[in-house]
Amino acid sequence: GDSWGIFTFLCAALCNLPALPALNCTEELGAGQSIQKTYDLTRYLEHQLRTLAGTYLNYLGPPFNEPDFNPPRLARVERVPSATVDLDLWRGLTDNARLAANYRAYSRLLCYLRALDGQAATAELRHRLGHFCSSLQGLVLSIAGVMSSLGYPLPVGPAGPSAPPGTAGAPNDFLKKMDDFWLLKELQTWLWRSAKDFNRLKKKVPPAVVTLRLEARGF
Amino acid sequence: DSHIQYERVGADVTMKCGSMDWDAAVTWTANGTDIDESHLNGSYLILKNVDLTQSGQYSCYEGSSWHLKYQTYLRVGTPPKEPVLMCRSNNYPKGFYCSWHLPTPTYIPNSFNISVIHGTREMVCEKDVFPKNRCHIRYVQLFSTVKYKVTLTVTNALGKSSTTLTFDEFAIVKPDPPESVVAKPVPNNPRRLEVSWQNPSSWPDPESFPLKFFLRYRPLILDQWQHVELSDGTSHTITDAYAGKEYIIQVAAKDNDIGTWSDWSVAVHATPWTEEPKHLTTEAQITETTSASTSSFMPPPTTKICDKGAVVGSGAVAVCWTAGLVLAAYGVLFI
Repeated sequence: GDSWGIFTFLCAALCNLPALPALNCTEELGAGQSIQKTYDLTRYLEHQLRTLAGTYLNYLGPPFNEPDFNPPRLARVERVPSATVDLDLWRGLTDNARLAANYRAYSRLLCYLRALDGQAATAELRHRLGHFCSSLQGLVLSIAGVMSSLGYPLPVGPAGPSAPPGTAGAPNDFLKKMDDFWLLKELQTWLWRSAKDFNRLKKKVPPAVVTLRLEARGF
Repeated sequence: DSHIQYERVGADVTMKCGSMDWDAAVTWTANGTDIDESHLNGSYLILKNVDLTQSGQYSCYEGSSWHLKYQTYLRVGTPPKEPVLMCRSNNYPKGFYCSWHLPTPTYIPNSFNISVIHGTREMVCEKDVFPKNRCHIRYVQLFSTVKYKVTLTVTNALGKSSTTLTFDEFAIVKPDPPESVVAKPVPNNPRRLEVSWQNPSSWPDPESFPLKFFLRYRPLILDQWQHVELSDGTSHTITDAYAGKEYIIQVAAKDNDIGTWSDWSVAVHATPWTEEPKHLTTEAQITETTSASTSSFMPPPTTKICDKGAVVGSGAVAVCWTAGLVLAAYGVLFI
C-alpha cells in the first residue's frame, strides 16, 4: 500500500509541526474526521489571517490599510491563485477536483507567503508570518491526508511559482506592495471558500465509506 | 394646453399668461378660486416664497372674453437629499438585493437609477415589482476578491443626489431570521423548555452553507437575557428555566463562517410544565370554555383557573387552594 504509507508519513509530518491544533496520530482518522479537522484548520487560519493582514497592511501604509481601498486588478505575469469560480461550476466539482483545487492553491500561496516572510522588514512581521506559514503548511498536509485517505492522487507539478516573486517580480516598490495586498486578499478569500468546500465534503463523505474502501484494498 | 411646473419650497415664482402681453387685462385663478390683484404684476402672477399648500392648478383668463389663455399645474417640492441605500445577501450564494429610500419626502415625483459595478463589469440589478424601491442581482461568480460598487442616483425636476456603497461579497451576507419558532414545556420536567425552529425559507442551500444559531431567553419578569450559541441543529432544550415562570424566547441565524447575524425571530412565549395540585382532579387538556372568563363568583367545579399556562408563578397554587376552600365552604353550607 502506497497510499497507506503516504498517509502514515503525512501524519507523522503533521505531528511534528509546531503550533498546530493537536492531531492524535494514534487514532485512526477516517476521512470524515480528517475533513472536519481540515475544516477547523481553515477557520483557525482565517482568524489568524485577520491579525496578520492587519499588521502587514499597516506596515505597507496607506492606501493599503484603508478599509475602502478597492484597486483595479492589474494583469501580472505570475498570478496568485484565485478562489473566484463560476457558481455552477463550483457546485458541480467532484470531490477530487474540489480537494485538488484547494491543495494546489494553498501550496502556491504558501510559497508566496514564505517569500514575503523572507523580505519582511520587522521582527514582529517575521514572527507572525513564520507562525502563519507553519499553520498553512499544516493545512496543505491535512488536505493531502484527506485526498490520500480517499484514494485520490496528489496533484503533481510545481508546488509554487517557478521563481519566487520579488526577485524577478515587481519593478517598483508600489507595485510590489500591490502584489502583497492581493496575495493577502486572495488568501483570505480562499480560506472563506475552503470552509464552504469542506462543508460540502463533510456532508458527502461519511467515515464508514472510507473504512470499507481501505478494507477492500486489503490493508 | 396644460403644463406642469415644479418649483422649490421658498422660491419666488412668476407665471406668465401664455403669449399675452404684459399689460393685458387678465384674471388668474388658483384651483378655481380668483386670485387677488395684489399678486399680479401686469398680467404676470407673482408668488413669493412658495410653500407646499400653494401646489395646484393655476389658470389665466383674458379679462373681457373670459377665454382660458394659459393653464399650469404647480407642484412645490424640494430637490432630493442624499438617499439611504442598503445591500444585503439573505439568499447566499444566489445573489443579493439592494433597497433604498429618501430620508425626507420631496413631494414631487422622483426617479431612481441604480448601477452595480464589479471590477470592470457593469451588472444589471433587476428591479423588483414589490417592494418598489428594491432590485436584485444574481451572482455569476462566487468567492470574488473584487468589491462590488453600487451607486444609487435619485433625480427629480429640482435636482439630483446620489450615494455609493462599496463592499465585499462576504460582508453583506445576513440571513433572514429563523422561522416557525416553537417552544413547548416538557412533561414532568418543571425546569425545561423545548425550543425548535426552521431555517429561513429564503436561505437556498443550508447543506453546503450551513447556518448556526443564537438563542436568547428570559422570564417575562426579568430584564436580563440568557444566551446559547448552537453550531448545528434546529432545536435546543433549555434546562435551567425557573419553574412556573412564563418565558420569552427568540432565535437568530448566521452563516457558519461569513457575514452577520440575522435579526431576532418573532418572539414565542412558553411556561415550563408545572405539577397539578393533587386534591383537584384535572384533565390533561381542558378547552377554555366561556364560563372560565365570565364574572360568575362561584368557581366552576373543574380546575379551569389552575390550567397550566393560564397563570404565572405561585399565584396559581393560591388560586387553586382558594377554589378548593370555597367549594368546601359551599359544600358545608348545603349539607
